[in-house]
Amino acid sequence: MENLGAVAILLALCLSAYAVLASVTGKLKNKPLLVLSAERAVYTIWLLLALASGLLVYALLNGDFRLSYVAAHSNRAMPVLYKFASWWGGMEGSLLLWAFLLSTYSAVVVFTNRRKLRTIMPYVTAILMGVQCFFLILIAFPESPFQVLAVGRGITEVPDGNGLNPLLQYWTMAIHPPMLYLGYVGFVVPFAFAMGSLIARQPGDAWIHTTRRWTIITWGFQTTGILLGAGWAYAVLGWGGYWGWDPVENASLLPWITATAFLHSVMMQEKKGMMKVWNMVLIAATFFLCIFGTFLTRSGIVGSVHAFAQSPIGKYFVAFLAVGIAATVYLILDRLDYLKSESQLESVLSRESSFLFNNLMLLASCFAVLWGTIFPVISEAVTGEKISVDAPFYNRVNVPIGLFLLLLTGVGPLIAWRRSSVESLKRAFLIPGVLALVTMAVLAVAGVRHFYALMSLGLCMFVTATVVTEFWKGARAIAARTGQNLAAAMIELTHRNTRRYGGYIVHMGIVFLFLGFTGHAFNKDSTNDVRVGDKFSIGRYELKVRDLLDGDNDNYSWRRARIDVFAGQSLAGTLEPEQRMYKASRQPTSEVAIRRRLNEDLYLNFAGVTNDGRNLAIIQAYVFPLVSWIWVGFVTMIAGTIICLIPPKVRMQYARTEVVGYVQKHAPVNP
Amino acid sequence: MFKSMRRLIHKELSRWGGHCRPTASRPRALLLVLAAGLCLAQSSSDLLTPAIRRVGGTLACLCGSCKNTVATCQMLGCHYSSPARERIAKMQAAGMTDEAVIDDFVKREGKRALAVPPAEGFNLLSWVMPFVAIAIGLVAIYLYVKRYRKPAASPPVVDNAALERYHEEIENDLAKLE
Repeated sequence: MENLGAVAILLALCLSAYAVLASVTGKLKNKPLLVLSAERAVYTIWLLLALASGLLVYALLNGDFRLSYVAAHSNRAMPVLYKFASWWGGMEGSLLLWAFLLSTYSAVVVFTNRRKLRTIMPYVTAILMGVQCFFLILIAFPESPFQVLAVGRGITEVPDGNGLNPLLQYWTMAIHPPMLYLGYVGFVVPFAFAMGSLIARQPGDAWIHTTRRWTIITWGFQTTGILLGAGWAYAVLGWGGYWGWDPVENASLLPWITATAFLHSVMMQEKKGMMKVWNMVLIAATFFLCIFGTFLTRSGIVGSVHAFAQSPIGKYFVAFLAVGIAATVYLILDRLDYLKSESQLESVLSRESSFLFNNLMLLASCFAVLWGTIFPVISEAVTGEKISVDAPFYNRVNVPIGLFLLLLTGVGPLIAWRRSSVESLKRAFLIPGVLALVTMAVLAVAGVRHFYALMSLGLCMFVTATVVTEFWKGARAIAARTGQNLAAAMIELTHRNTRRYGGYIVHMGIVFLFLGFTGHAFNKDSTNDVRVGDKFSIGRYELKVRDLLDGDNDNYSWRRARIDVFAGQSLAGTLEPEQRMYKASRQPTSEVAIRRRLNEDLYLNFAGVTNDGRNLAIIQAYVFPLVSWIWVGFVTMIAGTIICLIPPKVRMQYARTEVVGYVQKHAPVNP
Repeated sequence: MFKSMRRLIHKELSRWGGHCRPTASRPRALLLVLAAGLCLAQSSSDLLTPAIRRVGGTLACLCGSCKNTVATCQMLGCHYSSPARERIAKMQAAGMTDEAVIDDFVKREGKRALAVPPAEGFNLLSWVMPFVAIAIGLVAIYLYVKRYRKPAASPPVVDNAALERYHEEIENDLAKLE
């Protein structure tokens, strides 16, 4: 079985190299059959990688402990879901997943474009397969998932495996990595189309129209992956944090930020034919940041709890990044003539300008995160001394940038395309501005003194008011014309321009996220040593320890506290925080108990037992105000993203304001 | 309390006669010994007074598994932040100022003891560069707007002779219509 898997990977590697050569040669020598054979190779690679992945999953599910990967990441006692999740629990398996997802995306791209974009498709295929080739080299040689345990020349096996890291044995962890990979890998597709169009000297809007959906879908996956990871950290790590500014977390955020910038600036190209070079730069940056993130997770260059074990593959990534970035820069510079802007900015007070500022702030945020992530390495190389760049650095730099971005989220919809008059801006800003100021004033009077919290809550109100106004105005006009009720009119409005109104829903999701982040300023915590019958309090809650239990099963032993929660005089529920000790990995984990509400979460962690002879249970209690809004924001963002993907009822025609070339050619000549 | 886990630990410890030499063939024993160790290693005596939070907030937790500060690390029995809090408490009790406490940590651990890079020397770049990037971006936007902004429309210049000619043509056409 292991031989079959290894051969499948090797064959896929050979075919990916063939696909690169055949598609480029076929295009240059004008041999369509050669190009077709390259496309068939893409389908075959998918079949081969599906076979390899299937074999690995089969080995994991059946506990084939001759394979070193299975022995290291699975064991007999694990539930089936986590045995399956072990596929991406280690370096080799996760690289195989990367390669498999890329082959899936590639096959879909080739199939859906088999009769379209024939000028650029050979190059698109070549780029997709070039990236595929790189990842297949990694799993064919230095990081093979089909390596067997050997003693001398004989294959051996261990009676049981180490099992998946217990911290990863949580349901969101079974989904979070594939979602992130779907995001990371998905950004290869728009990059391939962008570069393909550059190579073919066809840098019009075709690649954008073709890849728009890809980018939105991929962005949705990346968002899901990041926020599921945040949800996992919140529910599993036992301290209630959802974002720790760890280098690997940062690595997932970087391409998400550049992709968000791209999704905004691409509208400038679609509607005005502007910012073509910038869009190329953004999509390339997104792709290379995905590769950089993968490199960061696997090279050991920066210390991270999320990183895989140190491995020699870092140098492969450095070589790939160096060659890829050099080739991309060359292509963009060489094709600048094809990337000229077709329009002009009519006014500084315009939606176009707001997009420029939006891109600036997103890129500044991306740079700040990247800089903070790699600065310890740079500083140590220059000064020879280690330094720490921890959460306070990122918060100080990124909170003001984030708040400015939130402001722009509200400002954008208020400014018209092409130009806005000062008068119209005054009218548009009046209600949202007043509501924001009133919110801040009320909160200040109520005793909120945290500056950023006040600003954030005020801006949340500002953006909410602008988004609600947009829906209200549009729906009211439709209702007046068609006689529909307001709810039906809102659905009709959204259906007419799904991208615009889906985008507004995504913006509301961002508002909810900020609301959740802001609650962090008001967190409360306490640590209590308790026995059965003891009472303690936190915030408005009284807690009484009803019972302390313990036990074990095949996978882990456990201790659990049963705690009654009283809000005021009434019983609000019973929480059961638990501590586990996994047998195979000999690692403890916390199964926290959370009472989730929109206003605040009560969060209990069974942290251990005192060592002073009294054997008291140590319960950490937290109150996290507003944190649930982060998950509400996530669901809202995904709902908005799905709406953006629905074809609009009315097909929009974007009239370009002014085409420079056209004006010059047909301008009236004075007699 | 926790009878079954303690019973198992005692049973295993007595079986090993106090000489715990873990081997791969006895994972259960090792697990239980580790569980006992884990219990012993834990303490709820985390010191988090406002004064400790204030100083601890400027110091990095160097446990290697989080990016929190000594004040915000919530891992109970963390091998770095728990002793660090105790040290802060002792130094504060001895009358040391916040700066002196922080200096003591830097003397022992180097600059990595600080949660953020010190704003001096080369490390000043860590603070400056994000804002330099924003400044460069603003300049780029200014240049972009300057280059691609449509020039303000100038009032049309009317040539009197041409205007006269058009008027004449209009008059002629109207005359023909009549």
